[in-house]
Amino acid sequence: MNNLWQYRVRNLFSVTIIALSFLIVGVFFSLSNNLRFLANQLSENMVVVFFLNPGISAKEQARIEEAIKASPGVARVEFVSPEQALARFRKSFPELEDILKNLSSNPFPASFEAILQKKAFLSEEALGLVEGIRALPGVEDVQFNRDWVKKMQSLSRLARAIGFFLGGILIFASFFIISNVIRLNVFARKNEIEILRLVGATNTFIRLPFLLEGLTLGVLGSAFSLALLYILIKLFPLYLGQSLGALQEFINFRYLSLFQCISLVIGSALMGLLGSLSSLSRFLKI
Amino acid sequence: MIELYHISKQYQEGQWALLDINLHVKKGEFWFITGPSGSGKTTLLKIIFREILPTRGQIIIDGINILRLPDHRIWRLRRSMGIVFQDFRLLFHKKVFDNVAIGLYVLGIPIKEIRRRVFNSLRLVNLHQKMWQYPSHLSYGEQQRVAIARAVVNEPQILLADEPTGNLDPELAFEIISVFKEINRQGTTVLICSHDKELIRHFGDKILFLFKGKIIGKEVQPFSRK
Repeated sequence: MNNLWQYRVRNLFSVTIIALSFLIVGVFFSLSNNLRFLANQLSENMVVVFFLNPGISAKEQARIEEAIKASPGVARVEFVSPEQALARFRKSFPELEDILKNLSSNPFPASFEAILQKKAFLSEEALGLVEGIRALPGVEDVQFNRDWVKKMQSLSRLARAIGFFLGGILIFASFFIISNVIRLNVFARKNEIEILRLVGATNTFIRLPFLLEGLTLGVLGSAFSLALLYILIKLFPLYLGQSLGALQEFINFRYLSLFQCISLVIGSALMGLLGSLSSLSRFLKI
Repeated sequence: MIELYHISKQYQEGQWALLDINLHVKKGEFWFITGPSGSGKTTLLKIIFREILPTRGQIIIDGINILRLPDHRIWRLRRSMGIVFQDFRLLFHKKVFDNVAIGLYVLGIPIKEIRRRVFNSLRLVNLHQKMWQYPSHLSYGEQQRVAIARAVVNEPQILLADEPTGNLDPELAFEIISVFKEINRQGTTVLICSHDKELIRHFGDKILFLFKGKIIGKEVQPFSRK
């Protein structure tokens, strides 16, 4: 700690660079977390709606219901009559009441709502169900938001990949910064190292403080980045206000999971350790 | 204790810093190595504490061929030695205490014991009252004595000193060598490089004369003149 304090300016500089590098990784991880959360929310209790022909026979309707119930991945099936659909619409969009008043008849078709099991939504079974039922006589149309969820999941993966890519480059840069800071510290303590060698210090005794320095710089850097990320996530919605409406949910960043935080700190510590090791192996010939 | 067999050292092609040096130093002996500048005194010391390797020859210290020691084991050899340099090599950002204690820190000795040994070592060179000062606040002679205290604090078997009285006035030089003599009396083998003829005449009981890397004479007095 004494040594870290002795060369505090250069050590602070390297901690800042590491913190900023890991902050970028953190921001993309957070974005990815957010998109994944939304995708999960969409896929939970997901409903496939099968709209029926207005002139469907009772037999055909029963066959469709049976077919949906028999499909794997379906938790339950609900029949929504045109009256129920109209009532729902009225409830959801009271401001459109005037339009409804001008209609001479109920425009909503009857439908079956198949509520899928949690994991079935993205499986091929769900796709098979949709295609199978769509082909049955009496089914007019199918509403299935699977593509949305898939897109959101792809975006989440993309955000994480960008995080890894940009973060990777910056972490690589931090590695060299740590390596060079340790190198400067080695040069600054050249006399001390020389004397330690002469009084019979082992290699480990001489190297250990530098390795600990690298490790500490890494840990401090990532800890600062996590703190900065926390502040950023708290401040960002305040900065944007409520002006974005529905979009708000997309940019409502979520903090990293405990596992991600620990991974970030361990990764940073390892980077610090490797940075000083590479420096020591090149510049501290014992 | 220290046996040198046909030691030669060549830094550059055709220029021998040392040539065919043979020397046997017994335990508890006090040797002066003398000769003009460039005669190879410092090179000889550096070879003994394995700072550099000879081009030819073998060195046995305490029964061990130190040239066969792998680099990562040199610390074992160094722990049996105390080394004093002409330029002291003190750490000016650390107090006298820490400068002397550095050799004990590496041994992992408890701090209580370190305090005791550092105090004794500084008392030997009459500097125990300046233990908590920085070397920059000490005189030239006092700094040299700190370097000596550091070299003897872990009670080495061998003490090597390279021009320990260089740039010191004669009175101070005598005082410094007296300290070495006192350490020698306690059983430590001492090798001092010096070109101070007056000092050697007064204290030298075993003298090795070097000239252009070769031994040109050895003088061994039956009794020390002190």
